Amino acid sequence: MLRKIFGKEFVFCVALGTGVNNPDEWMKYAEKEMRGDSSHAEMTMTIQTPNWTRTLEIESDVKGKKEALSTITSPAKEKGIRTLRLDNNMWNYFPKLKRKVAVSSSMLLASWMGSDFTNDDILKASSMNEDYDHKFAQDDKEFKVIENTAKNNSKVMWPKIVAYASKKDCLPRMYKYYDKENTLKRVLSFDNIKTFDGHIVPTLWIMKPEDDATKSTTIVYRSLKFNTNFKSSHFSQKNLTGN
Amino acid sequence: MKLLFIAFILSAPAFAQFEHDLSGNIEAQGRHSQNNEASREELFQDWNRDDFYLMYGNLNGKASYNNIRLESNWFARHSKSSLYEGGFLATQAYTFPNRLVVRDMFRMQHIKQEDDYKTESILNKLLLGVDFEESRFVFGRMYINYGLGEIFNPINPFNQPTGLTAISQVAQGNDGGSVTYFASDKHTVDLYVLGDKSINNYDGSIDRTIWVHGEVQATEDLNIDYVFGDDQKRYKGGGQVSYQFEEAMLFSQIFYQSHTTHDEISQNFWDALLGYDEQLTNKWHLRLETGYQKKNRFQNPLVFGDRFLPTEYFVALANQYEIHPLIEINGTIINDVKTGFTYFITKGIFSLGSNVEAEVFAFLPVAKGSDPENISQKLVTTDVGMALRAFF
Repeated sequence: MLRKIFGKEFVFCVALGTGVNNPDEWMKYAEKEMRGDSSHAEMTMTIQTPNWTRTLEIESDVKGKKEALSTITSPAKEKGIRTLRLDNNMWNYFPKLKRKVAVSSSMLLASWMGSDFTNDDILKASSMNEDYDHKFAQDDKEFKVIENTAKNNSKVMWPKIVAYASKKDCLPRMYKYYDKENTLKRVLSFDNIKTFDGHIVPTLWIMKPEDDATKSTTIVYRSLKFNTNFKSSHFSQKNLTGN
Repeated sequence: MKLLFIAFILSAPAFAQFEHDLSGNIEAQGRHSQNNEASREELFQDWNRDDFYLMYGNLNGKASYNNIRLESNWFARHSKSSLYEGGFLATQAYTFPNRLVVRDMFRMQHIKQEDDYKTESILNKLLLGVDFEESRFVFGRMYINYGLGEIFNPINPFNQPTGLTAISQVAQGNDGGSVTYFASDKHTVDLYVLGDKSINNYDGSIDRTIWVHGEVQATEDLNIDYVFGDDQKRYKGGGQVSYQFEEAMLFSQIFYQSHTTHDEISQNFWDALLGYDEQLTNKWHLRLETGYQKKNRFQNPLVFGDRFLPTEYFVALANQYEIHPLIEINGTIINDVKTGFTYFITKGIFSLGSNVEAEVFAFLPVAKGSDPENISQKLVTTDVGMALRAFF
């Protein structure tokens, strides 16, 4: 009946309004909700391998699409390790060594602190909305499936990401990342949706590499504040080294 | 008015952001050392083999209330070896930096050396800082960290690199005040006014250091640091240029120090550094530093003073490799191209838990220096050791 009324498949995604049939609007909405203009997040990352498990507590500040700063707050051994992104430049700071290391663009796909997340993921260097073209793929029963293909001029790490967005709240539940050979490399799943400052955000993120089923990295958002006012010096190399 | 005051007091907690943090580390270290022949025969360091034990720790405190913060670091170290009884110089290297606060106006250190032990208790940091939108004020004992050199960092005379030592987790404090002005997103200027006690031949008087450090992001890839001022009775100035390539970073420093501004016989200095830094893979970090530091002809060559590096012209290659997420190895080789002196340092760090790690290290002078004037190179001993480190 509803299908007849709307002429197409009916979805409960009221947040998208008339944009429900536009894949760009789906991705724009997801990014707006999950990323916002600026945010301060406190999260726990657990890296699981067959031989060892490591838990890190992290604070992450993001402003716009060009400024990000993450700081490890626990365990004490890694406390104070920071990663800064300014425009297209990135640096890691290791307080024990008082060493500031530039992260070259070739390192964006490299693992961050031994996890299954990359430097690119942690610093939110890529924008799904701006760097990718979007189109609907064959629908799933519960999900809208959106195929995101890297734009020709964008410098992104993954040529293709397939997003599975819930038809109920329009938010992604899964991203599948493909390499240049169109091989599935990793899967990021989202769960435990909560609301922070009017933004609906999945607070449980699980990243699993495809080539090793025994490994995974989980991120749990403990708190998230949007529209945070950062000082102009907050995203600076001076603040990175804590001087 | 009273109501307004009460309302203000009651609402204060809603606005106030009080944060505090206490952290630190403790480390036990033991090393077995072997002296070299030249040191024994020519420099009266008459010992062959000995052990050196030390325990040290840091306690860091931080409390902030809105834009005001109080920060502290207490460093304590106890070392024990029969080398102390003989007054042998190797102990200076094993506990470098051993004069942690050279500008100690506030006298916040206690050092006692007797028989076969030495105990040090030093407040390396105790500062009050106030942050504003475009400026930052700091008063007290503070760390001054800048410059990219890890083995040699001449543009920063306030904090010696410890890249060639077995001591980590140590920074030197400096007493006075500083103002930081964030001129723009891409330009920051620090002005330091510090109490200044002479590193060498301290006669009880305290002068002043006036120092400017600026940091400019000239382009997206090009950063420039400039420094100038009056410190240790000398006019000093220089800078650092760093360029970020797609894959690596290239940096260089040049630093000049005038003759002393007081009427005494002295020399000027100049130092240069060229460095290359690349994170080759996710696990392999490589650094190359090469440079020149003019020798101090007026300093007792048997004293590790403000210049720990016992080389004049040097090339150093440092590699850091992560074998496993829980195991890391470091290897640094430094060569004095003038004298041939070559020193190899290797460390293996093993994570034993989320807050505990063990380290094994070896310091090996693999080639002797040929320059008879460069005496301090002969003092370098061969050491192997172990450390157990815990963080809290």
